[in-house]
Amino acid sequence: MTKVSSTKAKDTSAKILFIVCACLSIFAVFGIICYILAASIPAFREVGFFQFLFGTRWNHINDTYGILAMLCSTLVVTVLAVILGGIIGIFTAIFMVFWCPDKLHIRYRGKNKSMQNFVAWMNSWLRKINLRTIFDQIIKLLAGIPSVIYGYFGIIVLVQGGLVQMDPMHRGFGVLATCIVLSIMIIPTITSLTKNALEAVPAQYFEGALAMGNTKAQAVFRVVFPAARSGIISALILGIGRAMGETMAVQMVSGGSVNFPVGIFTPICPLTVKINAEMGEVVPGSLHESALMATGFVLLILVLLITLSVNFVPKEFKGKKGTKVLQGDEAGKVVYRKRGLIPEILKYFGMICAAVVVIALAAVILFICINGIPNISWNFLFGGDSYDGHSLAPAFLTTFYIIIFTLLIALPLGIGAAIFLNEYAKPGSKFVKVIRTFIDTLSGVPSIVFGLFGYLFFVQIFGSNVFAGSFTMVLVILPTIIRSTEEALRAVPMELREASYGLGASKIRTIFKVVLPSAFPGIATAIVLSVGRIVSESAALIYTSGMIAVASSSVSSALDPTNMGSTLTVFMYSFFAEGLAFDEAYGTAFVLLVITFVLNLIVYFIQKRVKKKR
Amino acid sequence: MNLFKKKDAVAPTEDAAGETEQKKQKKEKKPVTLDIFDFSGENAITIKDVDLFYGEFQALKKINMKMPKYQITAMIGPSGCGKSTLIKTLNRMNDLVEGCRVVGKIEIGGVDIYQKGIDLSALRKNVGMVFQKPNPFPMSVYDNIAYGPRTFGIRKKGELDEIVERSLKQAAMWDELKDRLNKSALGLSGGQQQRLCIARALAVGPQILLMDEPTSALDPISTGKIEELCEELKNDVTIVMVTHNMQQAARISDKTAFFLLGEMIEMGDTEQVFSEPKHPETERYITGRFG
Repeated sequence: MTKVSSTKAKDTSAKILFIVCACLSIFAVFGIICYILAASIPAFREVGFFQFLFGTRWNHINDTYGILAMLCSTLVVTVLAVILGGIIGIFTAIFMVFWCPDKLHIRYRGKNKSMQNFVAWMNSWLRKINLRTIFDQIIKLLAGIPSVIYGYFGIIVLVQGGLVQMDPMHRGFGVLATCIVLSIMIIPTITSLTKNALEAVPAQYFEGALAMGNTKAQAVFRVVFPAARSGIISALILGIGRAMGETMAVQMVSGGSVNFPVGIFTPICPLTVKINAEMGEVVPGSLHESALMATGFVLLILVLLITLSVNFVPKEFKGKKGTKVLQGDEAGKVVYRKRGLIPEILKYFGMICAAVVVIALAAVILFICINGIPNISWNFLFGGDSYDGHSLAPAFLTTFYIIIFTLLIALPLGIGAAIFLNEYAKPGSKFVKVIRTFIDTLSGVPSIVFGLFGYLFFVQIFGSNVFAGSFTMVLVILPTIIRSTEEALRAVPMELREASYGLGASKIRTIFKVVLPSAFPGIATAIVLSVGRIVSESAALIYTSGMIAVASSSVSSALDPTNMGSTLTVFMYSFFAEGLAFDEAYGTAFVLLVITFVLNLIVYFIQKRVKKKR
Repeated sequence: MNLFKKKDAVAPTEDAAGETEQKKQKKEKKPVTLDIFDFSGENAITIKDVDLFYGEFQALKKINMKMPKYQITAMIGPSGCGKSTLIKTLNRMNDLVEGCRVVGKIEIGGVDIYQKGIDLSALRKNVGMVFQKPNPFPMSVYDNIAYGPRTFGIRKKGELDEIVERSLKQAAMWDELKDRLNKSALGLSGGQQQRLCIARALAVGPQILLMDEPTSALDPISTGKIEELCEELKNDVTIVMVTHNMQQAARISDKTAFFLLGEMIEMGDTEQVFSEPKHPETERYITGRFG
């Protein structure tokens, strides 16, 4: 009797623990909003709320703060980037789902024997690769590349390589450059979400359209595409959120001076850039600091409103209001003709977009490899303090520390939350919906806002060091971990749980001995994705774990996690910010690229194994 | 009541005049003609020595059939016997299946539909299909029916209205639906959805209607309505139907073909097949099911 009740007590306490984990994202979102609002109240009070929003001048020397020009820059750049990136991203997804061939095959009709042998050899290789999978991986790789690298690419290739010549003032920075870089950055998000939406459209729609005499292009663009509308709109909205919150890449190509975005080469300063540019030199407790917080608050609210609006996209066609009265009886013989030119054109447009994406990725990768590989050496990577400062060893150490600490905290919390959502909560209950909404909200918060929150909260507790950075990163990766773990738990068949219950095992025992082990590949994927996110993050870390001057970075200081430390991306950014060491920056970019590639590869193989097992 | 009868009833002299007019139009607009079939013969579909392979696996073996015009031909047989495969070869929906290969000859309206360069749009416009699971598009009722005509270049509101009304009347659902043409088709019941799919198929003016187990997902009352509808429709179109339900075949079809393991065992008038089957296998299947 006592034993039974003690198991029951265990079960209940475990359940409470899981609920707390799940509620953490609610606390986090409210915490972020409240802390940043509290910090920005002085600015709103001193400057006046409307004066702050609609003022056009920003000068921290004489405490004039108005963000209208920056707000406009953010909005204009975001809208343009989403139009450009959205069109390319959506059409790339359409191409991937419907026209990308699985295999390539080279045809050769000539008589040259050695050429024939060569073609046969090539084909034997081509047969082994799946083009669609490769394309998929390319998109994932694009998504994983740190934004600092995109910024570098934007400056060197886009601005200095092309736009300078087109700009009558020979600067090249500004609206256009920002838009292009941002659209490249949001293409992966939009493509992969659109792809999911298109793949979720029942095949019967497609078949039904074909059976009526539609060409494939007609069926795709007139039935499947409209049927996926709600998913595609969500994809675009998330793209908007991402573009708005982007900091590092935009900082590098926007030009950085406060102007209204009047021309394509006008240097601008979106909200994120202002925050990032001035947070480093701010006097703690000053009105300037509060004004930057207020800027962050405006940005946060904007992004949250946009991400939350995803929930209001109607899920399916509901019918129009009112009924039409038909007025038939119009004479004239109906002639059916073959049509479908426009869908056919759109199909080729999709191919062009896909090609653009591949070329963009190839350009980024080539750019980094060509400039980065020559700078790689043992000393550069792992050289100790004896090597004169420009070594990545301290950055490796800090990155490693932050990964370990963040995962140690975030994994139990995230898995706990996922267990509650999938094993305990009633599916579809209001509580679950609320939690899900907050998880989505948390994942939409721009990383610079995480940085501000970490600065206000964790830095006050720990000081500016690796721990503060790790705790901030916990909030950043929590949504990723919860989501992928939950997905993995959902894939565990119900029969396994029933079998365990059937043997008399308690719920908590079933979860830990049966459910979690079989969900392990999914959890492993979550870990790898989180590592990728931590490695590529920079804006959230600069004000929390700190940004160390290149000259003063050393292994001995980085060994102690209570010191400040730069992760690889932050370190790369300081190479840029100090403007001294471009070669080292390329080298770091190459290292980051390799890490991203390897992480993607690991995820791919885990998922492939899971698929094989099923 | 319907377009197709009118077509047949047109006097030959008018026809000739219409033809010259059409020729003029052709010269002016050069529309790609979709009427490449000639359904004046006795049989709408002729299948000669057809083998079908999925990769290495042979799903159909030496099929020979003739399906007469304006009749309902039912195909029966146990699961996996190839009847669904065969019906999908008739409008070449099997092309979607990877590794599917057809050997032999299938003539529809006198045209070999597996010859090179055949216009699939024209084929499928003339050979409509209704699927096992109702698949209305996520659009309004009106847009569902107008969808096909629109993709064939009909844009005038008046013409579309007329087609929608006529197709719904043909499918015997005009009275049910005339007040909710702008409501989502997904809100209809399963039986209504299936009849809407039939109306949608009729809207592009097919000569043949393929039905792949059209009632297997429906309740008995909806099934009855669809059977009634088929009896009506065979005045205008040739119907080929796959069915699991032998009573259904016996009730509504004119010809019945029995399939087993990819072979056509027997085909004949429905009455004859059900009352005195020639092959012992047919008899075993029919009596086994009934008994």
